[in-house]
Amino acid sequence: MTLRRDHVAGGVVVVASALILAVSGDLPFGTLASPGAGMLPKLLIGLMIGFGVVLVARAGDSPPFAQLAWTDFPHALRVVVVAAAGIALYTTLGFLVTMSAMLFTLIFMVERRPILYAAVFSIGVTGFAYLLFDTLLKSPLPRGDIVGF
Amino acid sequence: MEATLDSLALGFSVAFRPDVLLYAFLGCLVGTLVGILPGIGPLAGISILLPVTFGLDATKAIVMLAGIYYGSQYGGSTTSILMRIPGEASSVMTCIDGYAMAQKGRAGAALCIAAVGSFIAGTFGVVMLTVVAPPLANFALRFGPPEYTALLVLGLVFLAYMSSTSLIRTLLMAAVGLLLGCIGIDVISGHFRYSFDIKELGDGIGIVPVAVGLFGLGEILSTPSATVTGKVVSPRLRELLPNRTEWRQSAMPIARGSVLGFFVGIVPGSAHIIASFLSYALEKRVSRTPEEFGKGAVAGVAGPESANNSASTGAFVPMLALGLPTGPVTAVLMAALLIHGVPPGPQLVSEHPDVFWGFIASMYVGNLMLLALNLPLVGLFVSVLKIPYAYLYPLIIMFCIIGVYEVNHSVVDVWIMLIMGVAGYGLRKFDFDPAPLVLGLVIAPTFELSLRQSLIMSDGNWQIFFLRPIAATLLALCGVLLALSAVSFLTRKDWRGKLAEVEAGEK
Repeated sequence: MTLRRDHVAGGVVVVASALILAVSGDLPFGTLASPGAGMLPKLLIGLMIGFGVVLVARAGDSPPFAQLAWTDFPHALRVVVVAAAGIALYTTLGFLVTMSAMLFTLIFMVERRPILYAAVFSIGVTGFAYLLFDTLLKSPLPRGDIVGF
Repeated sequence: MEATLDSLALGFSVAFRPDVLLYAFLGCLVGTLVGILPGIGPLAGISILLPVTFGLDATKAIVMLAGIYYGSQYGGSTTSILMRIPGEASSVMTCIDGYAMAQKGRAGAALCIAAVGSFIAGTFGVVMLTVVAPPLANFALRFGPPEYTALLVLGLVFLAYMSSTSLIRTLLMAAVGLLLGCIGIDVISGHFRYSFDIKELGDGIGIVPVAVGLFGLGEILSTPSATVTGKVVSPRLRELLPNRTEWRQSAMPIARGSVLGFFVGIVPGSAHIIASFLSYALEKRVSRTPEEFGKGAVAGVAGPESANNSASTGAFVPMLALGLPTGPVTAVLMAALLIHGVPPGPQLVSEHPDVFWGFIASMYVGNLMLLALNLPLVGLFVSVLKIPYAYLYPLIIMFCIIGVYEVNHSVVDVWIMLIMGVAGYGLRKFDFDPAPLVLGLVIAPTFELSLRQSLIMSDGNWQIFFLRPIAATLLALCGVLLALSAVSFLTRKDWRGKLAEVEAGEK
């Protein structure tokens, strides 16, 4: 049997729903006259499992899983890793340092653009955003625990 | 009618205030840019700029955010015509004949027809909104919890029925959104649900991190920079005016697109996208020269562009009158109103007439601004399109982080955005539309509260939903839509498939 896209999608939905149901044990379902905090979540999980099963059952209409194009995955992964590092350091190093570094890394290291352009663009744009949000719009951006700006 | 005109006069007195005009202009300008730039749609644009409105009053905030929404419908046509890249989804159909016109040296005429069509359709939509919304809001004052429960179920079923993906996929996404909306403290019993001792999750998951993650970051992750070409057809300013034949060919498609778009826009779902598809199919059907479609037919630009603008205005009817978001964009706009302490719904007209009518009047003004912006500044917008995507998307990621962080000054929100971005990438790979997820998240609190209130007030009698006439009618409509979907499924004759074939056949 060929593994198809919706076999995987439906399977993930069923397994994830079952896991959520497992951590919902302490939520009371209640009764119809007095619905508890767990009533809607558990009904929704039941529906999701049902939809997941239907997806698996009808998976024959979907393309083979092996045919899904993943050529963009390495680029997406690099962007996610850089963005995650930026978020992790956002409040520690502050907006100016973190965002300049994040933009520079994305443009120079991920996109392989000239180092000078990448540096000027990163610093210039971050400075402009800082002026716009922090100074003009009075919407404070994180200063950073270590650097202080 | 006289009362409506008096109220509209009040609205214009608000809309013509210099500060409100300034924010309408800013919204239109940013919206046009959002529509032009690939990789950032109106939803991400509105979500990112939502924190900027926190210092404003509700009227200015909603005027600016709505300006971004309908401005993006105008702007989306520019990239479609000049680059054959839809700036946002509703401009897909404009790519076909708009780019073909550009290849024939008629890029300026195509842009002008798109702008004028958008203006006429947008204005028609606002006139209809002025007429339809207040009586609908008045009617909705009769709604209690069972009616609201039924209305929200109908909204979700309608969304699933109108979605371009399958009914099961859409309902599944809506269920995931509703489940995400259950995270946090239960307002009735005080139970913590799925917060896993993370105190920031006690208040639930915000709409902004989810929307920005799914639609902003998710789109960027799915768009490798190498695939975005910077080839732009630059129109000359003196070529901007269409000739007499082109004007004549565009008149009826604009009229048909305006009417069709408004009524499709009222229906929950990706209305502005569906409206442009339907309009294209309709124009091809009624045309005496259908063979011209795909080769630069004026009607193929005028109809869909008018329809998507009219639909984006029509979507405000259920949002303002019923408090029912018809799609993710109106859901975020609703959230913006709630943040500013103005709950949308039947009471909006009576309790906040300055916001309601000021907003409507500002849309008349905004449409004029957009017409003025889109034609003379086309050269400027073309130069924006020449910024390499490799520089553009890091900038968008930075604005995503700023936008999400500034809502609550919470890094947890930014992590949620990143997780949702990865989820959005995965959902696209597996052909799931993330829009119903956002809609489910937005309506979850109201849906759960009205469902549980209905059951409590009926002492557990679920028949309450069928014993009250309005609720029963709404649920009967749900039944009809589900039955129609079942027939489509069994006979394998789906109108959505036919529309997809229309698009595929022209590409």
